[in-house]
Amino acid sequence: MTRRQGAGVPPRRGPRPSAARRLHAALTLAATTAVVALPMLGQLPAQAAAAEAPAPEYTATRTVVREHLEPDGTVTVADARDVTVTVDRTQSLRGRERIQVSWSGARPSAGRAVNPYGVDGMNQEYPVVVLQCRGLDDPDLDPSEQISPETCWTTTYLQRYSAVSPGLAVWRHDRFADPADRADQDGVAEWPEECARLPGSILSQRVLPFRAASGTSYASCDDATIAPESAIDAALPAAEVAAFTNLDGTGEVQFEVRTETENESLGCSSEVPCSLVVIPIMGVSCMDSDAACREEGDFEPGSSNFTNLGVDPAVSPRLWWTESNWRNRFSVPLTFALPPDACDVLDQRAPVDMFGSELLNQASLQWAPAYCLRADRFKFRHNRMSESAALRLLGTGGGTAAFVSQSAASSSVPLGYAPVAVTGFAISYVVDLPDNGGELGRLRLTPRLLAKLLTQSYPASNDARAHEGLRDNPLSLNLDPEFTELNPGLSMTAEEARATLLSLSESSDVVTAVTEYIAADEEAAQFIAGTPDPWGMVVNPSYRGMSLPRDEWPLQDTWVRPSQQECESQIQTPYLSLVAAPVSSLRKIAEAVLDGWPNVQTKCTRSTANDPWKIGRVDRQGYGSRFMLGVVSLGDADRYGLRTAELRTAGTGAAATFVAPSAPAMAAALDAASQTGAHAPFTIAQEDLSPAAYPGTMIVHVAARVSGLEITRARQVAQFIRTSTTEGQVPGPGNGELPGGYLPIGPTGPTAPLLASAEAVAAAIEAQAGPPTPAVSTPLPGAGTTTPAARPPSAGPVASAPDAGPVTVEGLPADDTGPTPVVASGTTVSDRARAAGVALPAAAGVALAGAVGAPALWAWSTRRRLV
Amino acid sequence: MSTQLATTLVPVAPGPPEPSPSVDPSPPAATRAGRRRQRRPDAPPPVQPRPPRPPAPDWAAVTVAALTVLALLAGWFGLQVVAFGGLSEVRAQQVLHADLREQLAAQTAPTGGVVDPGVPVALLSIPTLGLQQVVVEGTSSGDLMSGPGHRRDTVLPGQAGVSIVYGRAVAYGAPFRAVPDLREGDGITVTTAQGEFVYRVDRVRREGDPLPPAPADGGGRLTLVTAEGVGALAAISPTTTVYVDATLVGDAATGPAGRPAAVPESEKAFGRDGSVLPVLALRLQALLLAVCGAVVLRRRLPARATWVIAAPVLVALTWLVTDAAVQLLPNLL
Repeated sequence: MTRRQGAGVPPRRGPRPSAARRLHAALTLAATTAVVALPMLGQLPAQAAAAEAPAPEYTATRTVVREHLEPDGTVTVADARDVTVTVDRTQSLRGRERIQVSWSGARPSAGRAVNPYGVDGMNQEYPVVVLQCRGLDDPDLDPSEQISPETCWTTTYLQRYSAVSPGLAVWRHDRFADPADRADQDGVAEWPEECARLPGSILSQRVLPFRAASGTSYASCDDATIAPESAIDAALPAAEVAAFTNLDGTGEVQFEVRTETENESLGCSSEVPCSLVVIPIMGVSCMDSDAACREEGDFEPGSSNFTNLGVDPAVSPRLWWTESNWRNRFSVPLTFALPPDACDVLDQRAPVDMFGSELLNQASLQWAPAYCLRADRFKFRHNRMSESAALRLLGTGGGTAAFVSQSAASSSVPLGYAPVAVTGFAISYVVDLPDNGGELGRLRLTPRLLAKLLTQSYPASNDARAHEGLRDNPLSLNLDPEFTELNPGLSMTAEEARATLLSLSESSDVVTAVTEYIAADEEAAQFIAGTPDPWGMVVNPSYRGMSLPRDEWPLQDTWVRPSQQECESQIQTPYLSLVAAPVSSLRKIAEAVLDGWPNVQTKCTRSTANDPWKIGRVDRQGYGSRFMLGVVSLGDADRYGLRTAELRTAGTGAAATFVAPSAPAMAAALDAASQTGAHAPFTIAQEDLSPAAYPGTMIVHVAARVSGLEITRARQVAQFIRTSTTEGQVPGPGNGELPGGYLPIGPTGPTAPLLASAEAVAAAIEAQAGPPTPAVSTPLPGAGTTTPAARPPSAGPVASAPDAGPVTVEGLPADDTGPTPVVASGTTVSDRARAAGVALPAAAGVALAGAVGAPALWAWSTRRRLV
Repeated sequence: MSTQLATTLVPVAPGPPEPSPSVDPSPPAATRAGRRRQRRPDAPPPVQPRPPRPPAPDWAAVTVAALTVLALLAGWFGLQVVAFGGLSEVRAQQVLHADLREQLAAQTAPTGGVVDPGVPVALLSIPTLGLQQVVVEGTSSGDLMSGPGHRRDTVLPGQAGVSIVYGRAVAYGAPFRAVPDLREGDGITVTTAQGEFVYRVDRVRREGDPLPPAPADGGGRLTLVTAEGVGALAAISPTTTVYVDATLVGDAATGPAGRPAAVPESEKAFGRDGSVLPVLALRLQALLLAVCGAVVLRRRLPARATWVIAAPVLVALTWLVTDAAVQLLPNLL
């Protein structure tokens, strides 16, 4: 459950008696939690991270109590704790973003569930319930804008509805509840019609309706009366969690927030504020000496509840809504960013499309509103596509600018590359420790392990040992001795999803960077060339001798698994490609890791016995046995709170160095960045990287033409470069700011050359005067002269757009060129077709010739001859 | 001509040319001299029929037959393209006009997105030319047979942007024959599902004329495209495209997105539709079969009956063959 445990911090033991010590403890704890809750970029190394860690956006301490009322009127304090809750991010949140909630001083939990989320987390004792509720906890507000249990989201009705035998109806003994809430359901005046009401002598019932943002009230007493987004197998997994507190009273969880886009009934948005509600479950405070109400739990603190046994309701999270628990809440006000489509809604101007790298995805999400909401700027829109396709679009005149990390392989137009972001890729993972030990917090990988995963060299299942060359290889990554030496203590069960790394199916600079990292490592290169590793594992023969780096990873294995199953014998698909099943975007990989849902496509289904079989995606992995890896962007990893693996940078065996993505490690990687000339992109040479540098670092550039670009567009691109390298590099969650996962570019330090280059390229693009002399990065010197400014805007360069001719011919104008009407230049070229001119005269001629010739010939051939 | 043809085709036992028995074999010179002298005082002598023409030799008969067939086909082709095609276009326009009226009334006429080729999209009228035509979607040679066609990768008329309409200059009613005669300021009215739009002609644009500027933001332009020729045969031999630009007066409409991004070569100016070849082959086969059938009938039935039975079939099939063959020719013809 930890991103990184704060090492060396003494664990807390029990409550502090004196106020002075209590204050001291709170300060210590604040410091502790600050370290514990380091954002991803602060993982390594500890000193640098501590200096850079931003302060958590919410911290609060309060005393939570469980106190029973004795028959004699006195109050017995059963338990009281000073709990401190810290939340790292609360402002400008986005859909599915995960925020770090940590606490200390809570009562240690017992009966730990394997899956703490949703209804599966209900059978635990003394957990900390974290929920998202609409509204704010402010008594001055209108009641409809305040939080209440009725506005708190739960994925199933079982978390809201109780129907138990009267002896176990603990809420009816809640000391703090309204008398009406304690009453029998027979006496409830507003009992929902759709819920069956039984006599109170048989069953005690309690309904907690969910009040949706639209005002609809969902009774939530069975599957038919719940909100539409709510279901046991909902599209998105449950976010609300009953998290476990360790024996030292601390605990943490990453909570996934939902916006209106994901959950319309909950309805949190930039206009509707919501709150994060954290309830340390202390147990129900009883008004009498009812035995069930006064239960203190059956499990030992720290123990697990593997078999999901029932627990005492009085101390379980099932009754989170009782007043006794609810009054112990921490409510953290959350604000939400504009939705991703805000610019399309708020700005009617035609967008200026920039195509390319998905690495910039999270940044452009925050940058876009800073452009479209201002009249003096333009409507910036980032279309994700492969970098090579984006560069091709530049060549044909179809794109204004492209986001790329690598230089174009060849270019017929002069391009300038302005660095605008330092980010990169990461290998993210979700791995559960065996025996309910929570999640793995540190995973280390070597280039050779990546090569093994990508070359499909793990057979994934026993049947696949029949594949040529894979017979003696470990079945999956977690059985590979090389992996277990680096990451001991993990589950040793083979599984298909554990034999693959979810990667990209499309061409991408990320694939280039990953394969460059593999190719630069001698061990990995030899492994691909065919040398077995020290444990005897060999590369899949389909990939042996493959040349690296490359921008697209091919699926070369064609072996079909022989199977007795009807489904697999009917659908003959290469087995290892089904296991790898790469996807088309990094975002899909990030969501797969977030959900713990591998993309392995080996599940056979059919709707009925008469339908044909289909092969589809396997099920989500169960909590406690999750294990999957994926290539993600650093921006996505930070936004979704994904764990990222440390990659080996130097050395072998025990002497190896592993580096996780962090600001200092990325800055160190910039030392190896170089450019081949003015206006050329900065590229990072893997072989020049220092051992402390993160090898997944990549620099994203804006590429645009430095001559031949229409002047309005050129100004917009230059404005974009200048804005994004200045105000766009201020870290923060707001509009126009730089999200986590990116290293800010500044005028000093290792990023200074990038900023200088960006300013120079922005000036060159604005001037449109052609490439600098000598032109180093543009293969066609003088290409600027082939695109005279006098050409019509629609025509584009002759050299790169052979089919631009018809555009001129038809007189089609360029794409909308904005408010300034463009003075046309160029002349009409007519189409010509001889056939059109010849057809009818020819037909007429032939008809005439026949009409004249036939009688004439007849007459001539039958003329009377003189005898 | 046809009787000659028939006699040529009917095998007659050829004999050596024999002098007629009534001809006097006396010395010709004396006869002539005597006749001239004797004509006036005497009753006119019986007219001597001229000797029958000798039957044509085989090669000549075949050549004449071939020439005749060729002339018939070419003549029919020309006639249908220029004259009968006009009838078929008028008929198509009536049907399209009725369709469009109904769709406009029911508000089901297309406003954008992907529109099937061949369906009516707009009513185009140019008062100064007395032209009123229903514009169909698509500019392939086949689409333009039923009237002017709207190029599918442009916005519909009346919408913001440039809308391009092609029309034939010679064949099939030649709806755009007079379009190059338009002058600056002439009005063009277009009625679509989104209302009635008025355009003013900017200029007629030929080879070498400057390109028009892109329409103002939110403005619309209609470009009519047809072809024209030069020289003595200009009326029937269009060889170059000519454009007429007209600017929308008033506000443009917007339509749903999803217009095709490009059109195939066969729908660009002077494009030809090679996909019609299989159809053409099948229709030619049908024509051949019909001719063979007619020949067989002629042997068993009197000529008049054969004529009555075979002629409509042959004409109909020839019509279909010509329709398909024209699609192999440039679309602006």
